[in-house]
Amino acid sequence: MSIEIKDVNKRFGDFVALENVNVSLPTGQLTALLGPSGGGKSTLLRIIAGLERADTGTVSIEGVDATRMSPQKRNVGFVFQHYAVFKHMTVAKNVAFGLEIRHRSKAEVRDRVAELLRLVHLSQFADRLPSQLSGGQRQRMALARALAVQPKVLLLDEPFGALDAKVRKELRDWLRRLHDEVPVTTVFVTHDQEEAMEVADEIVVINDGRIEQVGTPDSLYDQPANDFVMGFLGEVTQLGNVRLRPHDVEIARAPDLAGTVAADVLRLTRVGFEVRMVAGTEDGQEVSVVTTHAHARSLDLKEGERVWLTPSSGAATVPAMHALVPSGLAG
Amino acid sequence: MVELSAPVKWALRLIAVGYVLMLVGWPMVTLAQNAFSDGLTNFTSAFSDPDVVHAMVLTIEISGWAVAINTVFGVGMALLLVRYEFPGKRVLSALVDLPMAVSPVVIGLALLLVYNGRTGWFGPTLEANGVQVMFAMPAMIMATCFVSLPLVVREVVPVLTEIGDDQEQAARSLGASATQTLRRITLPAIKWAVVYGVVLTFARSIGEYGALKIVSGNLSGQTQNAPLVIAQLYDNFAKGEAYAVAFTLVLLAVLCIVIVSLLRPKESSS
Repeated sequence: MSIEIKDVNKRFGDFVALENVNVSLPTGQLTALLGPSGGGKSTLLRIIAGLERADTGTVSIEGVDATRMSPQKRNVGFVFQHYAVFKHMTVAKNVAFGLEIRHRSKAEVRDRVAELLRLVHLSQFADRLPSQLSGGQRQRMALARALAVQPKVLLLDEPFGALDAKVRKELRDWLRRLHDEVPVTTVFVTHDQEEAMEVADEIVVINDGRIEQVGTPDSLYDQPANDFVMGFLGEVTQLGNVRLRPHDVEIARAPDLAGTVAADVLRLTRVGFEVRMVAGTEDGQEVSVVTTHAHARSLDLKEGERVWLTPSSGAATVPAMHALVPSGLAG
Repeated sequence: MVELSAPVKWALRLIAVGYVLMLVGWPMVTLAQNAFSDGLTNFTSAFSDPDVVHAMVLTIEISGWAVAINTVFGVGMALLLVRYEFPGKRVLSALVDLPMAVSPVVIGLALLLVYNGRTGWFGPTLEANGVQVMFAMPAMIMATCFVSLPLVVREVVPVLTEIGDDQEQAARSLGASATQTLRRITLPAIKWAVVYGVVLTFARSIGEYGALKIVSGNLSGQTQNAPLVIAQLYDNFAKGEAYAVAFTLVLLAVLCIVIVSLLRPKESSS
């Protein structure tokens, strides 16, 4: 295991940022720390980087205890949400910074900078100032700068958070491909579950300073450990006394299946190829169901008609812990 | 912009220009006229007096020291105030502004109380060890540093606040030590603010009168700076010479302001 976090606690005044955090982040993989804002994920990342110090607990990187190590000794690359570019230096100088600090030879610095700028597709911008680059280009430059020193781990704090949706999506795909080319252990913080699911090999869900679940995107989505994880990773609805995904509810026009629940169609909304249905049960529960347009048509669904709802076999369900707001959509 | 009618516009312009003209422009023009009333005679006569030349040199020398000291302490203080949290920070911040509010004469008196050779707190001990503070260079530099203390700090603080510590953290994570980060990241980022503060400090220092009048002893040819010599010349009815020296000081100050206004656009684009 590349990064071992043991019993880490961190408070800011009265605010508990992290509480008894224990987690191992695997070598060579792309791990996402996922959770809502203020949940402690950035604090954990900054503790790994040494930019913040844990009140108690230990951090070890590649088997070396780094708990008391200053950031410049840890050999980690850190990429900030707002790029943290060195404004007064050219793109090439920015990338060269870590190498020049390490007193590498001029030729080596030049070759390495050229190689990295090629990797992040910024070769033609080498002599520009960061202020002449777009947000996405600046973040790629920051990434090249962090990679230049060949860090043992690469840490990214909401790296695409300040970019617009289109650029964010492009950079996300690009980061995934870059990681396949340069397989350095990478940890990135995000509050966007789609980003985490799409990019990461492994996801650590953090909420309220605690780790809720660790696993691959699929295992988290299919076997959420609790209500929170299920709600954070996608839409959730309630049928009877279980919570499940709206697309895991089967619709029938007759009570054929055991445990099926009768409901009346309240609303039907078509969005492209999918149909979203809200149905009211006899207990007054409102259930959200998502199905394909073709399936809805074959069932001949209409508002006000009776349907029977059943959790589909193999659906991810968690028991409902508390009375829910009707058809609560979390995400 | 609110649209103003033409007469109101002209009236406002007239008031603004008139105000500056009556308060600054006209007196300065008159000063120049009086300084050059006999061609360059006033200047040659004033600057052939070794005491005047000494006073000018002394003024530049004191200002140089004040600039050097206040630059180092000003940048340090600004870093302390922006980047660190500590008890008493607000008190320190208020103390930095104090010289702006207190009359220089009061500052001179306060220094005199602490450092004079007979009854001061440190004065007798220092003089017993051969260090003459009062009525000598050290006291004059101290007084000038005191009055110009806030200028560098107040220039640098907002810039440091605005750039934040992201770049410094990035440098640390890339392996830079605290000194390397300061030299390669922080100082280049606040460069223009420091330059601006230095020029203001210099301009303020060359004109200091009140505090120096008290702590210098005002000895001709020894501890008299340019403003003091101007006052003395004027009191001794050498008005032409007084105007000439005064005009030279104004010229120096104007030069500083010109430098600042030349630097300003660069500051915004960096």
